[in-house]
Amino acid sequence: MSLPLYLAMMKNHGKMLGGFIYGASAYIVLIIWIYPSIADMKGFNEMIAALPEGMRKLIGMENGINSLSDYIAGEFYGMLLLIILMVYVILTSTRVMARLVDQGSMAYLLATPNSRVKVAITQAAVLLTGLALIVGFTTLSGIAASEWLIDGYQLDVPSFITLNLLTFLVFSSIAGYCFFISSVNNDEKKALGISAGITLLFYMLNMAGKLSEKTEWMLNFTIFKWYDPIKMINNETEALWIGCALGILTFLLFMLSVAAFKKRNLPL
Amino acid sequence: MIQVKGLSKRFTDKKGLFDLNFEVKKGEVFGYIGPNGAGKSTTIRHLMGFVKPDSGYSSIDGMDCWKNAARIQEKTGYLPGEIVFLEGMTGLGFLSLVQKMRKQECIKRRDELIERFQLDVNSPIRKMSKGMKQKVGIIAAFMHSPQVLILDEPTSGLDPLMQRVFIDLILEEKQNNKTILMSSHSFQEIERTCDSAGIIKDGKLVALEDMHLLRRVQRRVFEVKVKSEGDMEQIIQSPLVTEVKGARTIHVTVQGNDQEFVQLLSRCDVQHIDTRPQDLEDIFMHYYDRREVEK
Repeated sequence: MSLPLYLAMMKNHGKMLGGFIYGASAYIVLIIWIYPSIADMKGFNEMIAALPEGMRKLIGMENGINSLSDYIAGEFYGMLLLIILMVYVILTSTRVMARLVDQGSMAYLLATPNSRVKVAITQAAVLLTGLALIVGFTTLSGIAASEWLIDGYQLDVPSFITLNLLTFLVFSSIAGYCFFISSVNNDEKKALGISAGITLLFYMLNMAGKLSEKTEWMLNFTIFKWYDPIKMINNETEALWIGCALGILTFLLFMLSVAAFKKRNLPL
Repeated sequence: MIQVKGLSKRFTDKKGLFDLNFEVKKGEVFGYIGPNGAGKSTTIRHLMGFVKPDSGYSSIDGMDCWKNAARIQEKTGYLPGEIVFLEGMTGLGFLSLVQKMRKQECIKRRDELIERFQLDVNSPIRKMSKGMKQKVGIIAAFMHSPQVLILDEPTSGLDPLMQRVFIDLILEEKQNNKTILMSSHSFQEIERTCDSAGIIKDGKLVALEDMHLLRRVQRRVFEVKVKSEGDMEQIIQSPLVTEVKGARTIHVTVQGNDQEFVQLLSRCDVQHIDTRPQDLEDIFMHYYDRREVEK
């Protein structure tokens, strides 16, 4: 890794990253803040229960809202954060590689005595650091908000942290294949299109898979099968194994990307 | 110092590089000339290790350009043909990033070059004009005093004054025994700085010559405007190759017979004289015609 390049890229990246961090953190604070009013609302769970089962699964409220954890996991991790992280990962992975090759500024980075492997690893580090920062700040904001902003409702902090770690790992894997696509493409727009296309396909398979038992098989073809925030926060998943598997998958995907970038012809 | 041997890279049947061979010795300035799309930049991409050759190889200081790309960069300075920098940086920010990535501490040379090219380093790169970006690129290529310089169309975008500054810089580096390869589509630029030149066309090296030989066969066309019809007649009657272009305006082609041309003009009332820039295609064509005749 090249430290000067890493710092320059992080600085370059700061504004966009700041926006994502702000968006995610502010939203989780907001959603925790209004939790008491929803929890006290009579008939809310009945209303949810009246929805068809597929629909309930889809919005992450199979069993209604029974605790603050369920609520955060279903409302925020299941919907908005998922979209924020998806957008961040797709955009950034394209920016750190394909864009530089497409525009030609990669030529300058490689015209210094830093190998392609070193440059690619640095760029991967930038991408993962950004992801870690978003998830990290969200975690901290979540914990802080539940401690100080509301009374009488407890957040299970260790489970919440587990949920965040797994979230980070799921999106690292997504970042992994997006980074691969970005590393082998000369065209920024094409890389962005393919990454977004695949990720959206995964997302749709995930939604369709949850709709009914007939479509459940679809879940086997999407990475989001491993991303089930409500089960995660209730410790109903094999967190350790899933975590390890995702970590290894991420590592392999990034290794593959770096190797592919090392070997390919560059149009610089 | 720079060696290219049997280098081939096929994109399509006509496009690419086909069995390219040349060598640039230490301390030599090599001009690489050819029309757009002939393969100049592709050759340079190979030298920089961006592209893997289909067959053959290129090397700098004995190191293979594809396998040792990163190590070669320690002693090489590179100016890309198309200059795009990282976004959101100032000129100085970019230059110091490159320096840090080179683990280079000394900024004396850098500041000297900034001064020389009169670059406003604090303006953001995205607001810079083409010429200013070119200056940043040139400084980035020269500031670590590399042994080898690879420059892809270095003067494009520079105004005539800065072109002069640049040519002086090249001549200075030549004095310091640096090895330089520069591509260009302008014969004049190469003429002033290079010891030898390679001419590339459709991915093949069509000529590899000493500069003074190329100069001898270089054909120039003068546009001459004279004051009277009589002078016109006199020029047309002369053994020089001529072409009437309008009222009292005539094109005279000179190739090695400059003396004759000057003597002819001394007998006429010349109102105006100008050289016509020649495109490279022309120069090569006549280069070959001439050779055929000599045989």
